[in-house]
Amino acid sequence: MDMDKLQRDIPDLRSKALAELSSLEDRRTLDAWRVEYLGKKSEIAQWMKMLGNLSPDDRRMAGQQIHALRQTLESAFTERMREMDELEIERKLREETLDITLPGTPQAIGHLHPITRILMEIEDIFVKMGFAVVEGPEVETDAYNFEMLNVPKDHPARDMQDTFYLSEELLLRTHTSPMQVRVMEQMRPNIPVKVIVPGRVYRRDEDDATHSHAFHQVEGLVVDQNIRMSDLKGTLEEFAKALFGPEQAVRLRPSFFPFTEPSAEVDVRCIHCKGQGCRVCKQTGWIEILGAGMVHPNVLAAAGYSPDAYSGFAFGMGPERIAMLKYGISDIRLLYQNDLRFLRQFSQLR
Amino acid sequence: MRVSYQWLSEYVDLNDVTPERLAELLTSGGLTVDAVTTRNQGVEGVVVGAVLACEQHSNADRLKVCQVDAGTGEILQIVCGAANVRAGVRVPVALVGAKLPGGVEIKRAKLRGVESSGMLCSAKELGLEVRLLPTEQTSGLFLLPEDTPIGQSIVDVLHLDDAVLDLDLTPNRGDCLSMRGLAYEVAALLGRRSHFEEKAEGHHLDVSDTPQVRVRIESAGCHAYAGQVLQLTGNHQPSPLWMQMRLLAAGIRPIDAIVDVTNFVMLEWGQPLHAFDFATVEAGQIIVRDAEQGELIETLDGQKRVLAEGMTLIADPKKALGIAGVMGGANSEISVGSRSVLLESALFERSHVRRTGQKLGLRSEAQQRFERGVDPAVQIPALKRAVALLQQIVGATPQGGVCQVTSDSMPSMLAHEVCFSPARCNQVLGTSFQASEMRNVFSRLGFTVIGQGETENWRIMVPSRRADIQLEADLVEEVARLCGYDAIPATLPMLANAPGRVGESYKLQKMTRSLFTNCGMDEVVTYAFGHPESISCLRLPENHSLRQSIPLLLPMSEERSHLRRHLLPSLAQVALYNLNHGVKGGAIFEISRVFHPYQLPLVQQPEERHSLGALWFGHTDIELGRPTRAYTFFDAKGVLEYWLMVLGLQENLQFTRSHLPWLHPGRSADILVNGVTIGSLGELHPESALQLELPRAIWAEIDLTTVASLPVHAWQVHPVSRQPWSYRDLAVLVDHEVPAESLLIQVRKNALAVMPHLQLTAKIFDVYSGKGIPVGKKSVGISISLGLEDATLDDDSIQRIMDAILHGLRLEYGAELRGQDS
Repeated sequence: MDMDKLQRDIPDLRSKALAELSSLEDRRTLDAWRVEYLGKKSEIAQWMKMLGNLSPDDRRMAGQQIHALRQTLESAFTERMREMDELEIERKLREETLDITLPGTPQAIGHLHPITRILMEIEDIFVKMGFAVVEGPEVETDAYNFEMLNVPKDHPARDMQDTFYLSEELLLRTHTSPMQVRVMEQMRPNIPVKVIVPGRVYRRDEDDATHSHAFHQVEGLVVDQNIRMSDLKGTLEEFAKALFGPEQAVRLRPSFFPFTEPSAEVDVRCIHCKGQGCRVCKQTGWIEILGAGMVHPNVLAAAGYSPDAYSGFAFGMGPERIAMLKYGISDIRLLYQNDLRFLRQFSQLR
Repeated sequence: MRVSYQWLSEYVDLNDVTPERLAELLTSGGLTVDAVTTRNQGVEGVVVGAVLACEQHSNADRLKVCQVDAGTGEILQIVCGAANVRAGVRVPVALVGAKLPGGVEIKRAKLRGVESSGMLCSAKELGLEVRLLPTEQTSGLFLLPEDTPIGQSIVDVLHLDDAVLDLDLTPNRGDCLSMRGLAYEVAALLGRRSHFEEKAEGHHLDVSDTPQVRVRIESAGCHAYAGQVLQLTGNHQPSPLWMQMRLLAAGIRPIDAIVDVTNFVMLEWGQPLHAFDFATVEAGQIIVRDAEQGELIETLDGQKRVLAEGMTLIADPKKALGIAGVMGGANSEISVGSRSVLLESALFERSHVRRTGQKLGLRSEAQQRFERGVDPAVQIPALKRAVALLQQIVGATPQGGVCQVTSDSMPSMLAHEVCFSPARCNQVLGTSFQASEMRNVFSRLGFTVIGQGETENWRIMVPSRRADIQLEADLVEEVARLCGYDAIPATLPMLANAPGRVGESYKLQKMTRSLFTNCGMDEVVTYAFGHPESISCLRLPENHSLRQSIPLLLPMSEERSHLRRHLLPSLAQVALYNLNHGVKGGAIFEISRVFHPYQLPLVQQPEERHSLGALWFGHTDIELGRPTRAYTFFDAKGVLEYWLMVLGLQENLQFTRSHLPWLHPGRSADILVNGVTIGSLGELHPESALQLELPRAIWAEIDLTTVASLPVHAWQVHPVSRQPWSYRDLAVLVDHEVPAESLLIQVRKNALAVMPHLQLTAKIFDVYSGKGIPVGKKSVGISISLGLEDATLDDDSIQRIMDAILHGLRLEYGAELRGQDS
């Protein structure tokens, strides 16, 4: 072994190997490179075998040089491998790039009918306030729908609710109020009575933008000793705040229902203009949402609760009207048209 | 009721109360004012003028050239096209610069070469309520009475500066259907006094004089009847302009002096009056009697009406003259030739009048007042007032005295007494009003208070005009109303605390709505009324009970004449509507009542059942990577299986082949839980679909009332295996008819027979027939997962289980193994 030749060959090999390495692009050629320059049959390996032929001084020096060369190539190889891996990952990622503007996998989205949504909201509020939810028959008797509610036959108050009769004595309930009497009869003599009654009601009205021959009501009834009209106001105020927001207030106006005395129409602050006055509230700042009053003594008596010992309040509201106000629906018939292009808009939950 | 602001202000000082403020006041007092309109629709600069001369326009056939004195100090030349213009008439003259409704401004003009300085006006041009005026006042110029002062503003002459309040009265306030009654109310709301000067105008009527008319009450429909005969001297003539304007403001048609006076007094006193031609009254004898069934009468409107029992008639000994409180008869109507008149002022029973009016389909102003209650104290004062007005206006003279008859049922004219406790009032309202405040309320209302202090009971004397006040609660409302509902504080009931609750049946409906929407279904709400024939889409036999639905007595249309017994027609209609509006398809459901009569005609409340109907129609929505496709049986079944699982009804659940006539026999199933049928699903029978005009659709229905009655089993979780599960797939060949589900049941049975504690699920992952599969066979792929709670399953055990499974399938269903995979 010629020390002088070795002194030339080592740098030559280094530059050749490194130059070759930097030109390699895939794992296969890279492996071949490793075998060629660092394998058992590589020049470096052969040099190492022949080191013994050199003088001790030369051997030490050449050993160090060859070892350094090997380390240089090995680390260059590792580095090159790492670069290659990175390139590989990059390429793969590039290939896998998606059009992220494409839609996500659709989930099955159904929609509750807006009336149901409002009914559920109303119910939840009253259930939290301790009310029980009960249901009653849609086909009622004249007695429960009118007479026991202090509306005798041939009374002009019957004009307030045009009625679909099924026979002389049977009719489609014109309001959920008959359940006031039914619930009291069932619960008698227990107190407190504290229920709401959601359900469908029917009036013989021509359908137009604000009238429907069929619609929904939620009746409320509280009976106990010493129930006051102020309790009615407070309860409805809590309800209005829960449904329309904490800044809400209610206003009671005198009115007439045969089955309550005193009777009131109940307004909330216009939810469109927050009470400033707008087209929706006819510039008054208030919007009527329900009728209410103290249960008429004749009704208490008809249901078997002595008006001298008990008092109560009742109210009735229309979820359609509330839905129309809340969602900006101008025609009640849209709620019964069931156009899926309309119903599918009700997907937002808050 | 339409209320003239000027008229009202004669009774109550409204100097500082604008019509708008008055409307607010009334509304907040419970008498809702729907609208305030001013009678003047934009008239300005129109005065009364006299036509002095009237000549033909030389250049136009239809035009006249008039010389008019309008009190301006000069004679105006005005060209006019009206047919009724002539010298001597007084007419409204719009001077140059005047304004008329609709933004018309009068300018000096030349009409066919002739100068015209102004315009003579018609009723329409003045914005009067022409639909209420007779044609002689609306065709051509609006002719004014000959004594109307020249130059006076037409606004003053026609009271156009009046405002009209449109009151939407609640049925309890019949007292406010009169100007006097309303005046009491307004005075009470304002805390002012009302004053009624016209009382003094009433000419003295001699009650002691023998009446010319005799009256007998034979019907329970009449409480009191007063009559006065008057001699007429003058001709048939119109009432004075001021009275016509009052009537117009109230929305009542002016007709002639006699009718107008009766209407005017009705508006004033709330007491309906009627005028008969006394000459037609046989023997001067009025009999108030019950109508006979089928009796005929021709009413004032020219209609022949068939009467029924329970109606009350005004009659003479020979014939009917009118229907009490509802409408007069044609035979006794005042005519041009009438020389004597009988004025009737009566009190008829509210319920009789109402029933009669409803049966005959009539709804007059008089009837409305009787229905809501006329003050029993005003029959005579109103009659006197009318007589006085007729004396003044047409120069009528009373003949004899007033005939006044009352029946035993006559309500008291005196104030009635109602007990009132100030303490209870505050208790009911939750207020703390002073006794003096309450006393003040009653005094404002004109109620007399007997009683002192706050603790004792008061006796409140309520005048007869307020028949709506009968109970303490009514007085409590008066206190609250006049003190203002705003004075009531907001409190919460002091009740024993109990949690709110929702009934099980209702909870089931709510859960079902949520679960179905979770599956992507849209809820609809449809009407409960349907056409009786719509049920025929169910292809039921002729006599099937579902064909018997409850009819409405008076439906608004044939389409909505019966209560539905089934939801399919309604939901199909929704589907059709949507398909016709470009919606490609949908999955919809409704939960609603269906009505099953126990018998027809209906004698008792029907059975109301909660029914769920669901319809899958058209195609699925556009979705990336999944082509749209028609909905299938399995879309519906998947929703129902999910719903049943969440409700805890998946145990003992069976889908069996259905034979319902509206479903495809090969693609439908009845749904049974514990052997109880709860509903069905399936593709609509092609004939049903055809009848509903729908393409292929899937229908499901559930009787929620039945589901609500099913017991729900308590459940707890099982411990899961600590070891990973093992999986085996197998494919077997079986006969085409073998239900796949029975294979799963068999798998389970055989596996558990080998190892009772085995945890196992078996699912179908593939069903295939066709190429490579013998005809009449199908390949069913079953994926099985196995595990033990506390030990590992070794391969030998799994093999034993799989062998047992295969053996069972072969034995029971002749299954052949096609492949096995682990």
